[in-house]
Amino acid sequence: MLKTLIDAFALISTWEVIISMFAASVYGLVIGSLPGLSATMATALLVPVTFYLSPIAAIATIVAASSMAIFSGDIPGALLRIPGTPASAAYADEAYAMTRKGQAELALGAGVWFSAVGGIAGVLSLMILAPPLAEIALSFSTFEYFWLALLGLMCATLVARSSPVKAIAGMFIGLLVACIGIENPGGIPRFTFGLTDLFGGIEPIPALVGVFAAAQVMRAMLTPEPPPLPRRKFGSIMAGQWKLTKLYRWQMTRGNIVGIIIGVLPGAGADMAAWVSYAMSKRFSKEPEKFGTGHVEGLVEAGASNNASIASGWVPSLLFGIPGDTIAAIAIGVLYMKGLNPGPTLFTEKASSMYAIYLMFIIANILMIPLGIAMIRVATYILLAPRSAIMPIIMLCCAVGSFAIGNNMFGVVTVAAFGVIGYVMETNGYPVAAMVLGIVMGTMVEQAFVTSLIKSDGSILPFFERPVAAILAAMAIGALLWPVMVWVWRKVKQPQAAAATTR
Amino acid sequence: MRLPDSVTGSFLVVLGAAAAYGGYILPPVPGQPVGPNVFPLVIGCGLALCGLAIVFGIGRSFEEEEELVPFEDGQTAAPPPQSKLYGLRALLPPALLLFYVFAADRLGFIITAATMVYVTSTALGARWKLALPLAMLSPFAIHLIFGKLLRVPLPVGLLPTPW
Repeated sequence: MLKTLIDAFALISTWEVIISMFAASVYGLVIGSLPGLSATMATALLVPVTFYLSPIAAIATIVAASSMAIFSGDIPGALLRIPGTPASAAYADEAYAMTRKGQAELALGAGVWFSAVGGIAGVLSLMILAPPLAEIALSFSTFEYFWLALLGLMCATLVARSSPVKAIAGMFIGLLVACIGIENPGGIPRFTFGLTDLFGGIEPIPALVGVFAAAQVMRAMLTPEPPPLPRRKFGSIMAGQWKLTKLYRWQMTRGNIVGIIIGVLPGAGADMAAWVSYAMSKRFSKEPEKFGTGHVEGLVEAGASNNASIASGWVPSLLFGIPGDTIAAIAIGVLYMKGLNPGPTLFTEKASSMYAIYLMFIIANILMIPLGIAMIRVATYILLAPRSAIMPIIMLCCAVGSFAIGNNMFGVVTVAAFGVIGYVMETNGYPVAAMVLGIVMGTMVEQAFVTSLIKSDGSILPFFERPVAAILAAMAIGALLWPVMVWVWRKVKQPQAAAATTR
Repeated sequence: MRLPDSVTGSFLVVLGAAAAYGGYILPPVPGQPVGPNVFPLVIGCGLALCGLAIVFGIGRSFEEEEELVPFEDGQTAAPPPQSKLYGLRALLPPALLLFYVFAADRLGFIITAATMVYVTSTALGARWKLALPLAMLSPFAIHLIFGKLLRVPLPVGLLPTPW
């Protein structure tokens, strides 16, 4: 234990790790603070760079950039009422109302402080939950993995704030994309249409860059430029935060716990955590009437929640290779690339690397406080950069970055294609996160499914015979039937309500 | 590009059916009951079913609380001009990416990238005073990071890189 900890310290105390972590933090803060550039996009565009770093430094950049970006999305939310990342959208109105009341320092300070606290709570959950779960996961066979993967996919569709049917359709599209290539049980070219470029399948990372970055540039083409930020002087940012912590310690703890749970659920990430926590805070508050008028309580809970989900999203990623959210989906790609294949054995064989990941999360969240304060102070200048100067650079990074992944122009074609797919899906109410999960998990789902079918000789029964498999199956099927039940319930309730009003 | 649900749903039905058929005609692995054909078959059927459900409007009642990130502030943002051609502007980024694919090897990274930056910047409303220096400088900056530091083999093309 102590030896692994010392090893982990040795792993992260190299100049490469320190410099890349610092640079990634600044990068994450800047990207997160720019409206329309999300934390997922920041992470996706970072992947090509991680190719050329050592494994620990590569993970360090992702950990630092994603944590910072989630916090700094609060900055334009509070100052402009335009959330920098979707994760800040839940409470942007509230934070802006506080700014109008002259409490911008308190709102932003709460953003930094409770983000850091939430992040550290998330890491603790990762440290506590992952090893015992790894013990259990060691006894899993393909049946359990199949149901687990299916459960993950179903969770992604359940939490999408859209029609569940469309979310399931999005998931199927992602799985279909994962079918492309020769990496299938028969080893024959499938859906390649004779194109050699498709033989290797669709790489998830260029697809993600397309969906999250290129589609965003496309959207920017049709939306008006956000208004410039009024210049302002800030007072002390951290003043009063300790008082808030003591006053709202239950809200903070509840936010942390909700964030951790939502992070662990596959497919549901920081934005969902923030929405749920903000709603919960309002529901359980002693003074719900103050919400929406610039009340800090919801900010505390939601801010603590979205950052907690970032770290706990790594639990299913590291254990099963099932991403906890879209950022973790990218992280899984990097883990595979760096020879840290996700799975329960990671915790025994590469224990020092795991400890290094925990430590980096803690460091990133501590680093967030000074860097975040500095960022708030310079945000006025960064937000002066017009969109017409930022988006072209994003385009260049898309092109060069996706080329760099395989030194292959087909990556750039993939980005363009998925940009269009992502844009069309998003505008028509199909959640892209579900598709992304399908793409990332497709190969794994198919492998587990087909191997199980071969083992069971084509029979369905063994899928339910092992106890853990049966529980997971019940949960997955329940998740599938849940929207149906809600729909039926609403149908039954509606005529009753209609009858009541006419009476 | 907001299409009616019946259109997107029908498209999914066709896509699902095509995927299921494509999976069905794949050759099986000799001596094994299941092979590469099972998974596309299952997914294709599922997708087609979802498509049908969407055509018939099942699950639409869940969509009411769908809120995209509010970009417009209402007070300051002018309503975007609504014309047929305006919507096509969204296709500019993917078109530029394809331009990069076809032109980068011939023209070289610097020239292609400068063109991309200039066009994107102008399309987003920048004056030439901003777009031109941006197009001149940013390709070199990206080249420095990716080409020099990360050693990505970016195409040289017409402009030799003397440094």
